[in-house]
Amino acid sequence: MKSLTRIIAVPVLGLAAVGVAAADDGFAKDLKATIALQGLPCDQVVSSTRNKDSDYTAACHDGNRYHVFVDGNGRVVVQKL
Amino acid sequence: MRRFSIAVTCALLSACAHQSGRPPLAKADTAVSAAPTVPAAAPAQPSPPVAVAVTPAPVAEPASAPQSQVPGVAPGGPRTAASPVPSPAPRPVAPVRTAPAKTPAAAPAAAPAAATLDLPLLEQRLKDTRAIGVFTKLSLKNQVDDLLTQFRAYHKGGSPQTLPQLRQRYEVLLIKVVSLIQNDDPTLAAAVGSSREAIWGVLSDPKKFATLNA
Repeated sequence: MKSLTRIIAVPVLGLAAVGVAAADDGFAKDLKATIALQGLPCDQVVSSTRNKDSDYTAACHDGNRYHVFVDGNGRVVVQKL
Repeated sequence: MRRFSIAVTCALLSACAHQSGRPPLAKADTAVSAAPTVPAAAPAQPSPPVAVAVTPAPVAEPASAPQSQVPGVAPGGPRTAASPVPSPAPRPVAPVRTAPAKTPAAAPAAAPAAATLDLPLLEQRLKDTRAIGVFTKLSLKNQVDDLLTQFRAYHKGGSPQTLPQLRQRYEVLLIKVVSLIQNDDPTLAAAVGSSREAIWGVLSDPKKFATLNA
């Protein structure tokens, strides 16, 4: 029974991990495109931390770090840290 | 004992397989070093079949055999050249046959897109597309709003920017949009790209721009 549970659990957890990774990858692309639209350099977003709603800190592979957030006027602001 | 015999059989089979596999590689190496017939055949397909087919033939003549020079130059050279020549001959015919088929199909597709511009639909498709994320969409919307503000000021006569400058900003923004969506939503990218002139017609005309604002 334990082996059966393992057989079922491993693929399910694996698929879940793939889904989370894909979502993270999509959000990293979103942040990268947002940074690039502001004319700032970022080759690839390697990590991002959520500060609050619509407020993130993104770290790029080239070492640049950015504060990406939506201000009170609904504008996306990218600040270099 | 059986295992040993099976192992020996497998070893012999694998050795035979290696030997049978080597000659083609060696042939390929010699063929590549002697005459680039294989690479020449690939570039011969698209457009210049005669020039490419002619060059490997003289190189292959001395490399292949002198016997084939007298009877073989004609058949041997033409064999390599003849096989590409008839094949490229029909091949260009096939693209030409498909090209007219594509051209009428593309022309009616582009004509309605340029003729009828559905800006609300295009805007809705941009909102709904999954090719770009939320932050990117909001950034693009900010930049579109900025450009519309500049056009508004231009039409009111209070803008230091000229129409060519606004056109350049518009083109850059459109290129940004298309480049962001072209990989994951090529149909929408094509729709945006084909609507470029129609959108510019609305932006640059004060009357049409006024209706856009209304």
